[in-house]
Amino acid sequence: MRKLLLICALALAALSPLPALAALQVDVTQGNQQPLPIAVPDFLAGDPSQTQTGANIAQVVRADLERSGLFKPIDPKAYVEHITNINVAPNFGNWRVINAQGLVSGQVAVQPDGRLKVEFRLWDVYGETQMLGQQFFTQPENWRRVAHMVSDAIYSRVTGESGYFDTRIVFISETGPALKRIKRLAVMDEDGANPIFLTRGDYLVLTPRFNPSAQMIAYMSYIATKPHIYLFDLETGKQEELGNFPNMTFSPRFSPDGNRVGLALETAGNSDIYVMDLRSRAIQRLTTDPAIDSAPSFSPDGRQIAFESDRGGPKQIYVMNADGSNQHRVSFGAGQNGTPVWSPRGDLIAFTKEQGAHFQIGVMRPDGSGERMLTNAYHDEGPTWAPNGRVLMFSREAANGHGSQIWSVDVTGRNEQRVMTPGDASDPAWSPLIQ
Amino acid sequence: MSQSQNQTRNTKRAFAQRPPRPTTARGPRAGLALSFLLHAALLSATYLTWSRMVNVSEESHAVPVDLITVTRVTNVAAMAPPPPPEPPKVEVPLPQLEPPSLPQFQDVEPAPEPPIPQFKIQPEKKVEQPKTEETSKKQNSQDFAALLNKLTAPPKIPPNTKVGPRMVQGIGAANAMTADLADALKSQIYQCWSPPVGAPNANDLVVDFDLTLNPDGTPGRADSDALNSANPFTRAAAEAARRAIFQCQPYKLPPDRYSQWREINPLRFDPRQMMEQ
Repeated sequence: MRKLLLICALALAALSPLPALAALQVDVTQGNQQPLPIAVPDFLAGDPSQTQTGANIAQVVRADLERSGLFKPIDPKAYVEHITNINVAPNFGNWRVINAQGLVSGQVAVQPDGRLKVEFRLWDVYGETQMLGQQFFTQPENWRRVAHMVSDAIYSRVTGESGYFDTRIVFISETGPALKRIKRLAVMDEDGANPIFLTRGDYLVLTPRFNPSAQMIAYMSYIATKPHIYLFDLETGKQEELGNFPNMTFSPRFSPDGNRVGLALETAGNSDIYVMDLRSRAIQRLTTDPAIDSAPSFSPDGRQIAFESDRGGPKQIYVMNADGSNQHRVSFGAGQNGTPVWSPRGDLIAFTKEQGAHFQIGVMRPDGSGERMLTNAYHDEGPTWAPNGRVLMFSREAANGHGSQIWSVDVTGRNEQRVMTPGDASDPAWSPLIQ
Repeated sequence: MSQSQNQTRNTKRAFAQRPPRPTTARGPRAGLALSFLLHAALLSATYLTWSRMVNVSEESHAVPVDLITVTRVTNVAAMAPPPPPEPPKVEVPLPQLEPPSLPQFQDVEPAPEPPIPQFKIQPEKKVEQPKTEETSKKQNSQDFAALLNKLTAPPKIPPNTKVGPRMVQGIGAANAMTADLADALKSQIYQCWSPPVGAPNANDLVVDFDLTLNPDGTPGRADSDALNSANPFTRAAAEAARRAIFQCQPYKLPPDRYSQWREINPLRFDPRQMMEQ
């Protein structure tokens, strides 16, 4: 009997499954935030006359990517392989040697009809796969804009969000002595190229804003005895006063569909928020508080409006529905908070915080939570969002009073850098992606 | 018994055999009283002297002093001769720094002021892209109402797809035994991982890989469904994670335990903590 039991026990033990070798489980929660090393050799030229154009396009692409702070273009002198044919897969080992994680190979050629053909491929050096391949046709003088479009495509493919290089900045150009400052409306490409004056400087201009098509600008000017809002059509050069108000109008901002303009209208020393329909020119009053309400900014879906008000004492940020209902305060931080600007992707509101003698740029969620400051300088003011909601531009003045400059900062607070402008500049407004 | 113990015992015995001390002629009582008086006088005198004459400062500190032997020949330099008369200053022209290459404005026709605009801005010509429908012809609108008609509806924000429920981690002895391996792998791979922390929805950026490693620590297979995700943020996050996997190879792990780190599944990249920082 004992032998039988022993045999049974041994048989059961033999039949029981062995402990399976489970796969190792690893949870990586910390990383090393670094810009992506990328190689962008000069674009090949279909004929020798286009060699310079190919080099120029690659140079603009390298500058765009580096300015974003998310890429680190590798010096072309370090390349060990020279691309000779973009339709052949590169030797990835040669690019891994110089620590490139991305590679852009491109070429330009003039078509029989005189147009310029620009094509490029984006390679994942470690994955050894093509991530993107595109081609563009344009007039040869538009090579710079094509370069920005190539940069946008690369940025979008690597980060997952749309780019912002093929955009424009409208701003106030400032020249002359402090007591006789000439302020002119000006526009330039996102990288500071192609700056153009839009007004002569006979009148003071302030707070320019793009409409969603990037073809119209609303701004405030002192052309008449009192400041009023004007519209400027970039395509035709026509200007037009927005409405015919006896009192001061200021702080214009377009709705996301471009059919309405939010503005502040002053009456007997009190300003309130109004919305004007651009087709019918009908105006609707949204706030009736005896305090000063101004700086309206629509949410991306057009359903809400953020604005600043001192109805509770110090200036703070409030949010209301687009019809003026449900007005409630969202900023409760220290100091005064103003100039709210809703992010194009809707997740944040940028603002200017005034505390002590300092002005800083910060962001908060639309409900006022998660407030964090992005800059820490003497006087930063007037944020404007890149169309992808990832980068902000703003005006900066140093404590020594040496003019105003335009700076940009990533929404993470990194990559703060100056935007090059011809002379002093302030009050930037970022256009949407040019259609 | 030790030698020291014998010595102690002998000493005690010697004290016991010592003869009695001689006393004074006046007897023991008188001597005792005299001794008491003398001791009392001595104590009182000592108390008066120390309590009144000596004033000890409680705040005194020991001051470290270094004794230095002065050599016969000092190292003090001789007095400097009077300075020679200064040569006449020569005006050296400062080098003219090249100003930063700033873009220059293009001078255009005098800008118009309302109501009569005087100049036109040359709009940039549209860039044609292949495989896209031809854009509508440029409308030469003469009024703002016509311009408004060209406005298109704002692009809708793509809904962020949510990542599925997190897999339940395995429990049991197998995880406890391999915790050091997981830490070793993490400590090597995190240096190469640069997650896209600026994305709007952190949950879109959590990606899982099924990674197979060769015995020499090089990756064999690195698969993830997120590499083919329709969500561009998720796909970008997966590609960033794959770059990290291949960039940090080969991984240094104990060869004798290869069976435990041959397959890592899931190898999860989760940047949510970084985004909260």
